[in-house]
Amino acid sequence: MSIAPFTEEVTRSSADLEPDLPWVTLVWNDPVNLMSYVTYVFQNYFGYTREKSEKLMMDVHVKGRAVVSTGSRERMEIDTEALQGYGLWATFQKDT
Amino acid sequence: MARAFRPRGRGPHLRYAAKLDEVERAVVIGLMEQVIELLDPPEPPGASTDGRLDDFEAIVAGMGGLGQGISVRAEDQADWPARPPVPPEARSFGDRDPALQRLLPQAHRDDEEAAAEFRRLTEDGLRRRKAENLTRSIAALRGRGTVELDAGGALAFLVALTDVRLVLGERLGLREDADVERLDAALSSLADDDPTIYAAAVYDFLTWLQESLAGAMLDDKTQG
Repeated sequence: MSIAPFTEEVTRSSADLEPDLPWVTLVWNDPVNLMSYVTYVFQNYFGYTREKSEKLMMDVHVKGRAVVSTGSRERMEIDTEALQGYGLWATFQKDT
Repeated sequence: MARAFRPRGRGPHLRYAAKLDEVERAVVIGLMEQVIELLDPPEPPGASTDGRLDDFEAIVAGMGGLGQGISVRAEDQADWPARPPVPPEARSFGDRDPALQRLLPQAHRDDEEAAAEFRRLTEDGLRRRKAENLTRSIAALRGRGTVELDAGGALAFLVALTDVRLVLGERLGLREDADVERLDAALSSLADDDPTIYAAAVYDFLTWLQESLAGAMLDDKTQG
């Protein structure tokens, strides 16, 4: 019993050595959400600066989508859920 | 005539205040109630009604179904040329009402399994939180005179307006940027008494109201 966690720990850290693409949260453009609102959400939820939030908002608006956060899958699912809570069209996926 | 949201006071005393007349309030409340209904999942067989739902039903019952001429219910959507038809089975999982789909979009575009798992884990919470924002906003609109919101109330109102506009926007066929112009063009060919014209005017009103609140909150966030 006491050995199991140790074994698991070793397995996990060796897996971490393999190249692993990070996951991303995307926000997609839609015709309803306001530019001011999207900027506000990025500032309020992520704590991004106004400048960074506006840049991301414009990327969504002009390019149709933007990567708004990067990290573990679990973290990206949390971000996606939160942004969907705000009514943004958010998805998560493995970075490509 | 409505007056848009403006900030009042500073710091912990900061409030956002707007003036809406009785009809305007009833229109917004009616739409918010309908979005709550859209978000209310079908009850699992044998489930008992809990206290939260009782409270909510009491609030809705008091309104007498005021929609002020606009219904965003899937079954009430008449077909018109500019908008694709809405699936008849509004609440089924496989053939979802697109308005509900817009509130709870598929979270992974290429991996159905991951999307289904995400939905299983998050959907109840998302539905509940959205309904809470709407219920809180309805309560704020129930008073007389000025609508005054503290920081928490303002965020709930801001998100509630977003969800109402997403649903109404979907009913008006707004799915991509080009649809906004398409709608404007379509409206000019409709009869004056076509309900779509009224719905589009209400959508514009909600947009104006939300823009004023989002702008004021964004300024405060940036300064703070």
